[in-house]
Amino acid sequence: MEAIRNALDFSDFPKTDLGVALAVLVFLFCFPFFPHSAFAMATMIQFFIFSLYGMGWNTIGGYGGQVDLGKAQYVGIGAYTTMVCLLRWDIPFWVSMPIGAGLSICWSFIIGYPLFKLKGHYFAIATIATSLVLKDLFEVWKFVGAARGLGILPYKYHPPDFWRLIFKEDVYYYYIIFAFFIVGLLYMNWFRKSRLGYQLRSIKDNEEVARSLGVNVHWAKIKTYAIATAFVSVVGSFHAVYVKNIEPEDTMSLDISILIALMAMLGGAGSLWGPVIGAGVLIPLKSYLKEWLGAAAGLLGIDLIIYGIIIMIISAFEPRGLWGIIEKIRRRRRI
Amino acid sequence: MALLEVHHLIKAFGGLKANDDVSFVIEKGELLGLIGPNGAGKTTCFNCIAGMFPPTSGRIVFDGQDVTGLPAHEMARRGLARTFQVYTAAGDLTVGENVLVGCFMHTRSRSSAKSKADGILEQMGLKEFRHQLVSELPVAAQKRVTMATALGTDPKLLLLDEVAAGLNPSEIEATMAGIRRIHAELGVTVMLIEHVMELVMNISHRLIVLDYGRKIAEGLPKDIARDPQVIKAYLGERYVREHAAEIGG
Repeated sequence: MEAIRNALDFSDFPKTDLGVALAVLVFLFCFPFFPHSAFAMATMIQFFIFSLYGMGWNTIGGYGGQVDLGKAQYVGIGAYTTMVCLLRWDIPFWVSMPIGAGLSICWSFIIGYPLFKLKGHYFAIATIATSLVLKDLFEVWKFVGAARGLGILPYKYHPPDFWRLIFKEDVYYYYIIFAFFIVGLLYMNWFRKSRLGYQLRSIKDNEEVARSLGVNVHWAKIKTYAIATAFVSVVGSFHAVYVKNIEPEDTMSLDISILIALMAMLGGAGSLWGPVIGAGVLIPLKSYLKEWLGAAAGLLGIDLIIYGIIIMIISAFEPRGLWGIIEKIRRRRRI
Repeated sequence: MALLEVHHLIKAFGGLKANDDVSFVIEKGELLGLIGPNGAGKTTCFNCIAGMFPPTSGRIVFDGQDVTGLPAHEMARRGLARTFQVYTAAGDLTVGENVLVGCFMHTRSRSSAKSKADGILEQMGLKEFRHQLVSELPVAAQKRVTMATALGTDPKLLLLDEVAAGLNPSEIEATMAGIRRIHAELGVTVMLIEHVMELVMNISHRLIVLDYGRKIAEGLPKDIARDPQVIKAYLGERYVREHAAEIGG
């Protein structure tokens, strides 16, 4: 009960923040009722997906300060589990999603145990490496379609299929991922004020101090990594049924891992709203840049260049991202 | 009854023995001072006891149990808390949140950790700083934060590492009163490393002196102050001359 109360307790935020948040939520809820293009709809769904990825990343990367650049491997595990379960055994989404999360968590324990013996940049590099290795394995693994991947043929089912999550209209996906988004946000609101949340922030401040306060640093990191993983994997499962066509390159590539980290880092690592703000800025930017510049001018790499510039600007000026800038301004006003 | 026993503790870093065959006992309810020149191995000794790293050899018994080589978080759970000399808080935890982390050790419930932290903040005179970052506080308050944070874990034994360093005389006075209060009111056994002589000589029931990693003396503060070896290694002739009246030399 206390957990639920804490999840719903936003009282430590100023009223203006909550007002803005509420207005955004109302807008998001009403969005499908406004006239919109299919492209805008797809962008909104991507926004939710990446907000959730970012929230997951934010647990270990933001609150815990462990820069993880290998989250795509769990997108892959989630997506492939759901896809394989559906295609081979006709296991519906709501069953395959927890299976995928379970597999992801198992894998996160296996690699998390040795990985968290590493610190700083070494940890970041190791996460990239494990993710790339897994991607390469999937590219040659015939059972999961190797490099060509797997695809759902929607006409085999009778949409709307709420059990398998096969729909013709995007609006169904929109409200399902919107519900995930709300749950994710409430979970994060609980998490940041939980024992583990505080312990992680203490680890980020100073590991020695954390240890002296009874925090099992290694185990706390592994646990949090598993939470981050579960988030990413669940949304990966959703991604699979939503795009209906997955291959290692577009679920497990380094681009995805970096983009996930970037959501929270741009928006504000270690803050509740950070990943949402980050996704709100980056996803439309990414979609529309690709639409306007990329395809037209043959400049497909330009979004990557922009991400690179964003990373440099954040790390040089405000490591705590856009939210950090907002808080800085507020602090100055108060003084 | 002995709360902590250290038997023949050796800690070597490569060829250098930071602690060389150090043995001592802390009784329950004692206030023990650990002094010695810089580099004598005082903090290393703390780190070994607190489980920050395992000793090279030797045995540590805490509260009747052999705890040699146990990790720091395990020691904390058994009732050993410590402060740090340099509080490198570059992070984003406020004073209140720092104390909260310690209070979370024995409970998962946020509300009970919170109420406990509020009590400690009040006790340590930190309530007004609650929402500030540790790095924004004056040194004296920062030192109180490290003590408050450690107290959140309900320690049986509290290791204080130079909590008076860098403070002015009136702040030292206040710190001394603070330590006495922790010791008397909360019933915590205290061991402190300190270079500020008026504090450590005044407050300690007993003193241990380290030099080059070895224990060179142990005894009542007034005896230690007259010990020729300690004077030579650490206190210096001047200290003895200036404090002749107090130590009866």
